Amino acid sequence: MPGYSPAPVDRAPARPAGRPAPARRAPRGTRLERWAPLVLVAPAVLIVLLLRLWPLLLGVNFSFTGDGDRNGTAVGFDNYVALFGDPLFRTALRNVGLLVLLLPVAVAIPGLLATFIHLKVPGHRVYRGVYFFPAVLSPVIVGTIFNLLLAFDGPVNALLGLADLGPVDWLGNPGVAIFTVVGVHVWATFGMALVVFLAGFSTLDSSLLDAAKVDGASLLQTLRHVIVPGLSRTIQFVFVTTMIGMLTSMFGLLYVMTSGGPAGSTYLPEYYVWIQQGQLNQPALASAASTVLFLIMLVVGLAQIAVLRRTGKED
Amino acid sequence: MKRTLFSAALTVALALTAGCGSAAGPAAPTGDASGKLVVWDWKSGDAKAASYVAKAKADFAKQHPGVTVEFVAQPYDQYYTLLGAAVQAKRGPDVMLFNGGGQIRDRVADLVPLDPYVADDRSRLSGWDAFSKDGKTYAEPVTLQGHPVYYDKGLYEKAGLDPAAPPRTWEEFVRDCGTISAKTGAKCLALGNKEGAGIQFWLSAMGTASLTPQEYTDWIAGKRNWTSPDVKRVFELWKLANDSGLNTDGPNSTAMFNDAFALFQSSKAANVIGLMSDVGHWKDFAEFLGADKVGVMTAPQVNPAATPSLPYDGGIGYAVAKSTKDPKLAADLVRSLSSTDALKSFYADSGAIAADTSIDVSAAGPAVATIVSEVKTGKPALHVALSSKTLDLMGRLSQELLSGSIGVDEVLQQLAASDKG
Repeated sequence: MPGYSPAPVDRAPARPAGRPAPARRAPRGTRLERWAPLVLVAPAVLIVLLLRLWPLLLGVNFSFTGDGDRNGTAVGFDNYVALFGDPLFRTALRNVGLLVLLLPVAVAIPGLLATFIHLKVPGHRVYRGVYFFPAVLSPVIVGTIFNLLLAFDGPVNALLGLADLGPVDWLGNPGVAIFTVVGVHVWATFGMALVVFLAGFSTLDSSLLDAAKVDGASLLQTLRHVIVPGLSRTIQFVFVTTMIGMLTSMFGLLYVMTSGGPAGSTYLPEYYVWIQQGQLNQPALASAASTVLFLIMLVVGLAQIAVLRRTGKED
Repeated sequence: MKRTLFSAALTVALALTAGCGSAAGPAAPTGDASGKLVVWDWKSGDAKAASYVAKAKADFAKQHPGVTVEFVAQPYDQYYTLLGAAVQAKRGPDVMLFNGGGQIRDRVADLVPLDPYVADDRSRLSGWDAFSKDGKTYAEPVTLQGHPVYYDKGLYEKAGLDPAAPPRTWEEFVRDCGTISAKTGAKCLALGNKEGAGIQFWLSAMGTASLTPQEYTDWIAGKRNWTSPDVKRVFELWKLANDSGLNTDGPNSTAMFNDAFALFQSSKAANVIGLMSDVGHWKDFAEFLGADKVGVMTAPQVNPAATPSLPYDGGIGYAVAKSTKDPKLAADLVRSLSSTDALKSFYADSGAIAADTSIDVSAAGPAVATIVSEVKTGKPALHVALSSKTLDLMGRLSQELLSGSIGVDEVLQQLAASDKG
């Protein structure tokens, strides 16, 4: 009821007349209690500082030194100049941009499937279990499976052949491979997002869906006006976690499926770091690439937090 | 009050305990003159290398009975990553295994030049070039690694060709491949270029058939002319072979190790540029095709002024870390790891062509006999002379050549720029 407010209540009872004020507590106790929260928080803070932030600073510092003959020598921004002058690193950054563009697809797929499960299409109990299955597979297993399925002379091309379509070199064509790997990644990880969406649906008031049905809303209208607004916080959460996963968890798939190829077309900054440090013995350059990746994550993360906050205000 | 004091004290103690737990312990020394030597490699964990390691240890123990040798086998895929990180942190091993070529050359700043210690082994072993930089030697060869062109004698016979007389020129090679395809359905060349390794083998094999002796010598010496028509021809043929259907399908998504080799040994391709030691080699192929059906030829001649030969180098060899306490002691271990008796085991068990050319290989079949005889006239492999960075780039560019997104001239320009440093 708008405008309604409960009657104000006394915050504290009046002290009975005549009784003396209680004595002040000992200063020693007060000081100890004031410091206790800091002491209790210290272990967690120290762990973050020592094992996360300090190594990060060391890494950033290392990125301003040289490799090979210049090992240990300060070189200013040479590594960053070399990074952005490397076509391979630019490809890696461009692929990050591509991942951001493909993000809506990676979120929409589990979202739609969760909607159908929630609306109880025939077989929804089976799908619920089946869709989560890929999420429990290791990326190496997933990569190996799809290497076989997507090989030039593999079953997928055999099926295309039956339909008189030309074979596609899914993993060997520079223009196609990145989409193939992203597709496999979405397949392998959408189960987790599906579970999050299903959890979100449990907080959606079912009477809203019933009301929409009574009013004759189509599926698309229900989706657009009831489900999406109702699950907006869930959608934002899935966006954030999916983006983080794409930027930091595709290494296994890349390594097994394409080795960053063909022609470097499926490099991501994470893979680039690994190659520069391990294969080409350029750890300082790899540190610079790590720093760039960290900054990318920071920007993307902050942007998404800002979006979350704005969404929260609308609620 | 007492309860508050006790809780605060307990919390402080726990915090201090957490702090102690995260402190790094004192760095353990990696070895000392009278104690232990640590060896990192990717071989000692392999069952086929057990006898080799045992004999090397025995040889070393005769000279230094009080020294313990500890082998730490690392997975090959992460070997250089782990090694690089360990060396940077001053926690690397005393002795470590390297592939010949760019990987060891990129890391010579962390290694001890072995020249004062290995003089006695110079003439017995081959393949030193791959472990040398600027005239200094940094590892002693254990195996030789080269790139013979293998052919399937069975397919040649089925096609009505004489398996004892493989093609000697490119024209003959292409013609014979056409015959084989028509008669047996097999492809000409099994190619796996997913890791960018196919082009390395191609460059080294076809380079001997295209570069003049002078161009070849200059290349190895570091004076590489990427604008030479003979060099260009190698890359043109790389593209031509694929465009004209000589290669097995999908080379950019076929792994050299071991899918391409599997295609050859299952007779889906009549030829493959393979290896000499450990994998993708005569012993693997013989298990499927039969030892008498594995043929070896030199690359078909492209340039009449070129003399095709077997391109090979040192394959793997052990090096000594600059941080070791006693370089002489570590070098003695390196020499034991290349001793004749140990290498005999490596050859017999792993099917590696040992760097020691005095070892008798006559019982291993005609392919090995051919390879070993060709080692005498062979030359260092062209790709091993290149840096890791240039090889990495060449792998990517070769994939673009196969997919048609780049031309040969641009490839050569980029490689020249990379090679210049």
